[in-house]
Amino acid sequence: MDLGRRKAIKTIGTAGVVAATLPILGFPAIAQNRPLRVGIIAPKAGIAGTIGECGLQGTLFAVEKINAAGGIAGRMVELVIEEETNPKDSIERLRKLVLQDKVDCVQGIVSSGVSLAMGPAAEEMKALTIYWDGTTQDGVDETMAKPRYVFRSTDNECEAVMASLLVVKHWKGKFKTIAGINPDYSYGRNNWAAFQALLKKFGIEFTVVAEQWPKVGTLDLTSHVAALKAAKPDMIFSSLLFADLPVFMRTAHSAGLMEGTRFAFPAAGFQHTALKKEFTPEGMIFGHNTLYFDHPQANALQKEFVAYYHNKTKDYPHWEADRAYFAMQAYKAGVEKAQKAKNAWPSIEEIAAAMEGVKVDSLGGPGRMREDHIAEQTFYQGITTHKNKYDFPTLGVVDTMYSDQLQKPPGANFWKWIETAQIKL
Amino acid sequence: MTPRLTTLVIVGLVALVGSAPLWATPYHITLMIPAMAYGIALLGLNLLFGYAGLLSFGHAMFVGIGAYTTAVFTSKLGIRSFELVLVASAVAAALFAIPIGLLTVRYVRIFFGMLTLAFGMLFHSFLFKFYHLTGGDSGMRVVRPTLLGQDTQELDKIAFLTGPFFLYVLALLVILGLVMLRIVHSPFGLHLKALRENARKAEYLGVTVRRFRLAAFVISAIYCSIGGVILAVPTGIADPELAYWTHSGNLIFMTLLGGFTNFFGPILGAFSFILLQDQLMSATQYWRFFLGVVLALIVILFPRGLMGILESLMARFSRGRS
Repeated sequence: MDLGRRKAIKTIGTAGVVAATLPILGFPAIAQNRPLRVGIIAPKAGIAGTIGECGLQGTLFAVEKINAAGGIAGRMVELVIEEETNPKDSIERLRKLVLQDKVDCVQGIVSSGVSLAMGPAAEEMKALTIYWDGTTQDGVDETMAKPRYVFRSTDNECEAVMASLLVVKHWKGKFKTIAGINPDYSYGRNNWAAFQALLKKFGIEFTVVAEQWPKVGTLDLTSHVAALKAAKPDMIFSSLLFADLPVFMRTAHSAGLMEGTRFAFPAAGFQHTALKKEFTPEGMIFGHNTLYFDHPQANALQKEFVAYYHNKTKDYPHWEADRAYFAMQAYKAGVEKAQKAKNAWPSIEEIAAAMEGVKVDSLGGPGRMREDHIAEQTFYQGITTHKNKYDFPTLGVVDTMYSDQLQKPPGANFWKWIETAQIKL
Repeated sequence: MTPRLTTLVIVGLVALVGSAPLWATPYHITLMIPAMAYGIALLGLNLLFGYAGLLSFGHAMFVGIGAYTTAVFTSKLGIRSFELVLVASAVAAALFAIPIGLLTVRYVRIFFGMLTLAFGMLFHSFLFKFYHLTGGDSGMRVVRPTLLGQDTQELDKIAFLTGPFFLYVLALLVILGLVMLRIVHSPFGLHLKALRENARKAEYLGVTVRRFRLAAFVISAIYCSIGGVILAVPTGIADPELAYWTHSGNLIFMTLLGGFTNFFGPILGAFSFILLQDQLMSATQYWRFFLGVVLALIVILFPRGLMGILESLMARFSRGRS
């Protein structure tokens, strides 16, 4: 009876999938002659809409260059673009891309919540997936301990680690009280905790006088700014990064919070052109992370992309464009490495295996994909200045670090790594 | 339509959906799972809205309770029996719904709507803020359950979803649909209709208004939680967005789209919404705008929803023949 039921369920499952896949079966040779299809899932609206659009420009730039040079292992690349929304609907978009559009690879994702939910789903569907962003510590170990098909961006906390190191480097001994205003989700909480852990690691004595946790996308921050002003901190650390950051900056400026207070914004680069000089002061620690568009020693590729982006959008790009470019180039490198090794078109598993260890010259500088499927990239942060040709601040002092100094090594625990790592300032 | 013809049409539609693995693509089969999950949830919501006349803006809370019960059972307690999860989620939903219902059914119209919204937001805040317990914004993992005691780990996820899980959910929709059909045609259902039309008059006639409203509230909560259990399995996660007020708005949208005056309207609304959203999301980044236009058109031009349009067409066809 038990065996019969088990057999029946198995048969139903097999019959279901065989029947359902019959219309899509094709010959491998035909499949290889068609263009490579890459699915993109990125936010197009709401507070992260501009982030997704910037990433998409990085993808388009990469695809134009790849196709102009003959494609990936001889196959042109075409894109199928879907919108990233909440975890449930974004996973349904992933399913559509894989089952309906038959994409060869999925790239994108900005939100941590979506990336953590999508990881196991992509693994179960054996869908080669490369994240642009959204790799916070929370849940990563539990949901994606040893991914086979999913590749992640550098840890999101790299930004906070670098900003914290710059605070120590530039402002040690210049503050005693600190306050935080960080978005109320895993990214904000981890960044704030990492900042305090690093201050302790470097022997800085401090007192936390205020903690503010606005919900992501809160566009009235008056009460939060008032609470910060009342606490009179010497220094404020903030991981605000979406459309709420310019609102915070305007409100803080109007309330006089900027006077006499130091600021560190590890992720402000997402909003750099919206933070106008009139309300964004000089002297802040400011994270542009894996792409600083105005770097005086930028390579030719970055200069070409910044010009391309500015011509198309009349704006200047941020690091999400670099992440998207990196994802596409890492995929290209993996496919071509696997194809060369096999001398035939490789399977998804072979491509995924080949992507481990590939090196990529991305828009912001060199990077690689680690064997544990986490990216290594070059980071840029520094201190803001108004001495430039733009209506928003840029970096007067640029600090550069490679992410092997900013993120935990493979298999390590982030919080233990902070305690034990030998980090150079 | 005669009752016999209605029965034939329903049986035909169930057979058509049940045979989907033979004619639909895997993607479209997986799309039908959330449609059926919402269909079950909306059958419950419409008992409260369509039959008892109480519009809740907080029933996403019960969808969330279903999803999180699934997560706790499958990933924290290691209990993977889908049947046990269904029972547990129904019990959990009832345990939440009884005290909330006791407070909210004392009110009607906007006051009832606002109170249910408030409780929904309280629950969402709990899920979002108590991240050590709930995982916060990252949610909680849902492990694949066993069905009728059978482990299906040998099937890959798509084979599981498009095979046994799909048929299981269809069976649940049919069973819970029949139960709800029995409820709305029972004296209890007739009492609900009576108090919807005129609560004071119904009370004079012996209907204990609050007790009947409370019962409808609890039943609707149980149906929504079962919908939440089903929604959590394909995505593999219970996340706080499921309990957010915008999700409650989607439930109301689906009910209006299908038509709350007809028993089958909410099920049609669920299928139509999922299909419409799927097509619009792929076609344009302004899909929310078009969904809004559809909602406005439905409310203004077709207040009885898609089912109302079908009923009008059928009536016109019958008149033409006679």
